[in-house]
Amino acid sequence: MKLQRGKLLVDPPASASSDIAFILIIFFLVCAAVQPETGVAQILPKTEEKKDKQDQSKNLEVSITPTSIVLNGSPLALPEFTQRITAALKQKTRDADRIVTVKSAPNTPYPFWIRVSQAIKQAGGILTLELESDRIINVE
Amino acid sequence: MKLQRKKLTASIPAFAMGDIGFLLLIFFVILARAQDDSHVRWQPANLKEADMVASPLASVTIDTGFKTYLDGKEISTDELAGALTNLLGDAPSGQRNVFLKVHKEAKASHFEPVIAAISEAGGDLIHILEPEEKAAK
Repeated sequence: MKLQRGKLLVDPPASASSDIAFILIIFFLVCAAVQPETGVAQILPKTEEKKDKQDQSKNLEVSITPTSIVLNGSPLALPEFTQRITAALKQKTRDADRIVTVKSAPNTPYPFWIRVSQAIKQAGGILTLELESDRIINVE
Repeated sequence: MKLQRKKLTASIPAFAMGDIGFLLLIFFVILARAQDDSHVRWQPANLKEADMVASPLASVTIDTGFKTYLDGKEISTDELAGALTNLLGDAPSGQRNVFLKVHKEAKASHFEPVIAAISEAGGDLIHILEPEEKAAK
């Protein structure tokens, strides 16, 4: 005589499906939350009204347009600009002398602007924005 | 003779706890999403020197339509400085991080007034950019 084996349970209990979904949501939330951000810092000490013209005339002046960078009146490409501004700022030791006034054309694209500002920062310059409304922003 | 009433059970089925937890989680996720800016569409510019940055107190975004958002809510540039001042409160310098996420096609006329507003509020500006090697992949 053959003995009948007891049937094994194969179906997962339906009541556990919501717990499984809960754990899955936690998993995806944790995955989504851990996305590190990358970037560059710029310290903005203050926004102030335009200073005397006499003080500003000593500073390096940079004009940015969509196609070129003008340093003290000479149009340059970015690699050349980096060399020239590094050389110009190397001789200056005082913070007040390392101020670089940047004026951008309204249609200057952001990626180009950020490259120029990064070049000034790496050369040791203190970036100062000159806006249309005559407000000055110092960016260290 | 007094008839005995049948006792009714009032216990909560234990298997419903998972469902309750699930619904609570959905509720809190929706609540949290109202404060973030992940729904704002923008593409970062690339820069070789982009490094890991600390967490911010506020996040300003210029999206693909060149609209300005503060922590995911649309705001005009004129109101931005005041709103940022309130958000940053009395936080000491060095802990007043403000993320600036500018869409790579934005122009100076879009992002310079925003930088001015962050400066006015005394925020520590951090440009959010993508490292060039990551963008090339």
